[in-house]
Amino acid sequence: MRGFRALLLGLYGLALAGCASTASPEALAANDPYEPANRNIMVLNQEVDRLVFIHTLERYRALPEFMRTGVHNLLRNLALPTIFVNDLLQAKPGRAGRTVARFVINSSIGVGGLFDPATPIGMLYHGEDFGQTLSVWGAGEGPFVMLPLLGPSNPRDTAGLMVDTFGIDPTNHIHFKQHFWWAAGRQYLNVLDLRSQTFDTLQGIERSSVDYYAALRNLYRQARDNEIRDGVANPAAELPDF
Amino acid sequence: MSTPFSLARRTLLATALVVPFLTAPALAADPAETFVSDNIQRGLARLNSKTLTPAAKRDQFEQFLTGLTDLKRIADFTLGQYRRSASPADVAGFESAFQNYAVSVYQFYFSKYSGQTLKVTGSTQRAPTDYIVSTQLIDPAKSGQPLEVSFRVRTDGAKPVVTDISVEGVWLSLQQRDQFVAFLGQNNGNVKLLISHLSELAKQFRS
Repeated sequence: MRGFRALLLGLYGLALAGCASTASPEALAANDPYEPANRNIMVLNQEVDRLVFIHTLERYRALPEFMRTGVHNLLRNLALPTIFVNDLLQAKPGRAGRTVARFVINSSIGVGGLFDPATPIGMLYHGEDFGQTLSVWGAGEGPFVMLPLLGPSNPRDTAGLMVDTFGIDPTNHIHFKQHFWWAAGRQYLNVLDLRSQTFDTLQGIERSSVDYYAALRNLYRQARDNEIRDGVANPAAELPDF
Repeated sequence: MSTPFSLARRTLLATALVVPFLTAPALAADPAETFVSDNIQRGLARLNSKTLTPAAKRDQFEQFLTGLTDLKRIADFTLGQYRRSASPADVAGFESAFQNYAVSVYQFYFSKYSGQTLKVTGSTQRAPTDYIVSTQLIDPAKSGQPLEVSFRVRTDGAKPVVTDISVEGVWLSLQQRDQFVAFLGQNNGNVKLLISHLSELAKQFRS
């Protein structure tokens, strides 16, 4: 345990040392002025993943698929109230209506969200969060940041995550005994579910990457842009000439 | 005063002038859409083949990829600003290494979509010879949402060619350019080192 703590401290030290380093012209061009620090934080995240998380993940992935799908459905259902509020804040009443319908159907017929009968009848899931809302309101993303434990982000999306978690999510306003453990358990399951869903893809990207950090940075940005556009293709003019 | 004849003539003239502009994008998009729907589906079918040996499958996929994509153009794009400063020998070496890398890595990724079907859903004309064809990759074994895949197709050569692929909004060439430029930035713009790294990755994917 002492060794692990020392490793963490050492890695944080590396990350902080990186802050003092000068970013390369390529990093500045990629709107990543903290690249040296971000790279060190990624190393830290990978170490934490390897030492702490991967063992639970292996056990979780060994569960039958229907059980993992149930957990995935349940977590998505719990996120719907936050998505609904962000649908409204982005003035998208049609999507807000579908979110409500999905919540009602899956919470009732879907046994509290364990099953997803809404998808086969055309009430497809869509994600929204306050980072996307800020973008719709005109806020720029700011420089790329790699958050300890949470991974790729930027100041806008980090602020959005805080607002979603502590401001919008209604389950965090219901106070009961052991609330901390409920919230922590849910977040842990969220990470486990996300990690399980993306495990093969990320492993493939890491294996085929010349620079895994740059690959993740670009992947995050393009995927976020796609989410903000609600999956509508990039305006053709935004794509570069070949 | 307009006579019924002059009105009819003017309507006809207006229709003749306006209709081509209204219909031109849809008609013009057809070659790119047809190209994608005919050829990509065939490529997926080749990867699904159970009669070919792994080596034969790789050869067929290489022919398929090099025949349908402009890998030289993609390679030059992914070098970013280093394309201008690299020597002609380094650029040629990189283009060759990139082709090997693309064949090995894309075969690995494409094989994950075996058994799935591609449905063209529309296209956008970005420039007179530059199209984005939107498709959905449908997995018959799953009832979930299909995967949104777009192909960027150029039609200014003897035959149409793919220059980029986007999966759920992530364009692969943009992703590779960021990686290669970052790698070169970390290694003093050493293209030879990038070539050797790509060759090593291609070898790992083949084994």
